[in-house]
Amino acid sequence: MKKEKNIWLDNVSKKFNIGFKKNQGALARLISFISGKESRKDLQVLKDISFCAYPGQIIGVIGRNGSGKSTLLRIIAGIYEPGEGCVKTVGSVHYLSGFNNGLSPKLTMEENIYLMGIMMGLSKNDVKKRFAEIVDFAGLKDFIYTKVYKFSSGMVTRLSFSVTIHCLKHSNPDILLLDEVFGAGGDIDFEDKAIEKMAEFIKGGATVILASHNLKIIKQYCNEVFWLDKGKIAAHGLPEYICEKYEKSVAA
Amino acid sequence: MISLKKYVQKFESILRLSLTLAKTQFKLRNEGSYLGILWYLLEPLCFFGIILLIGGVINQSPVKYYPLYLFLGLIMFNFFISTTTNALKSITSNAGLIKSMKIDYKSLVMSGVFQFVFSHILEMVIFLMFMVYFGANFINLIFYLPIFLFFLLFILGLSFLLATLGVYISDLSNVWTVLVRLVWFLTPIFYVMPPNSLFQKISYINPLFHFINVSREIIIYNRIPGIHVLLLMVFFSILSLLFGLFIFQKYKSKFPEMV
Repeated sequence: MKKEKNIWLDNVSKKFNIGFKKNQGALARLISFISGKESRKDLQVLKDISFCAYPGQIIGVIGRNGSGKSTLLRIIAGIYEPGEGCVKTVGSVHYLSGFNNGLSPKLTMEENIYLMGIMMGLSKNDVKKRFAEIVDFAGLKDFIYTKVYKFSSGMVTRLSFSVTIHCLKHSNPDILLLDEVFGAGGDIDFEDKAIEKMAEFIKGGATVILASHNLKIIKQYCNEVFWLDKGKIAAHGLPEYICEKYEKSVAA
Repeated sequence: MISLKKYVQKFESILRLSLTLAKTQFKLRNEGSYLGILWYLLEPLCFFGIILLIGGVINQSPVKYYPLYLFLGLIMFNFFISTTTNALKSITSNAGLIKSMKIDYKSLVMSGVFQFVFSHILEMVIFLMFMVYFGANFINLIFYLPIFLFFLLFILGLSFLLATLGVYISDLSNVWTVLVRLVWFLTPIFYVMPPNSLFQKISYINPLFHFINVSREIIIYNRIPGIHVLLLMVFFSILSLLFGLFIFQKYKSKFPEMV
């Protein structure tokens, strides 16, 4: 069966200007505006990345901290603009990084579920339909009207994971970008449940790009792996082979 | 035709998100206080009381219905201060969200403005009570709706501009505090405009003066201001909105990297 590509990246490069630390006050801005000088120190985060992906493909991205994994994912998600080159995606894209964003500690769990759901693009009615399911999955039935700042960190993780995953299921994106989402920090029971749920979702037919340090997960689910090193693709190919190579380089 | 429908849909979704966020923020601001919503009423009321107390010293010849004159100016200016100061930080304070979700940043700025609309409504209710108490004709209060609509557009435009600048200039809020104070003294809120003065000329280009002045003339004094004043007011609001949106749209793609 021939499927259409739904992600293209063509020679994507990205630079960040990291030299502006002293340059952000009003006075400094004014001076640099008048003098026309701007202190610049660029950091090349990504350099000439090209690849494409098809629906159903699960791609792993590995590499050390600061090798450009998150930046790459954010560029594909459209959060960052590519400095050079072009990115094309077909269908809806969803980017997920961790599970601790979007919660307001001073609101109750119920209010938080609605707020997060709406932030993720659902309507109020959609959230209502899923509400019981979300609470049930998180296993926090007794705390619906408790304010979230009273939750333990594990409970917060459960809640945000549950809301995120159910909202995701509802919106059913064509492209899913997962940035270090395994190992959320719940207890073992929940961890297993979460990984299972995530896996079920990953295998659901969307194009998935998975950035992780957990090589076990990468080997288990991905059918292609990219190894990023200092913004370049150092190697790509089958998971077993690339992971082994990567492990050797880290150990060395 | 299809693109227009899409455009309307997008606008609706931004508006819906903004309103939900605004409601949450409004709720959050009241949280943990027994006085809660009452603070919205108490704060302008206390300030009103203070100025009224010393106003007699500053103003040797107060106008008719001076308390109404003062209170309306005060709450409109209050709306201006709270929205703009909030808008300055609306992008930077949501850094985590902006970096991790692809939402329309416009709704972050808009929600910041909308949350103060709620408190403004409460203040208007007090104003209505004052009008009844002082025996003014309160029927004309209906005309505040269209005036406020243009005022809101003006503020939205300004907020978009300030939100953008706030991302690039880290200490803008300090600058803004000083500027706002300057505008506060340049706008006749607690004093009455001295005729044929330099103030009057400056006020002509002060948008806030026009919004407040037009509201006072119509609502309190039942006078219809000249058509050129009304047109100027509309002009200011549309100009502000278009300019603010233009700048915001131009720079918004850089926000995730800057915060």
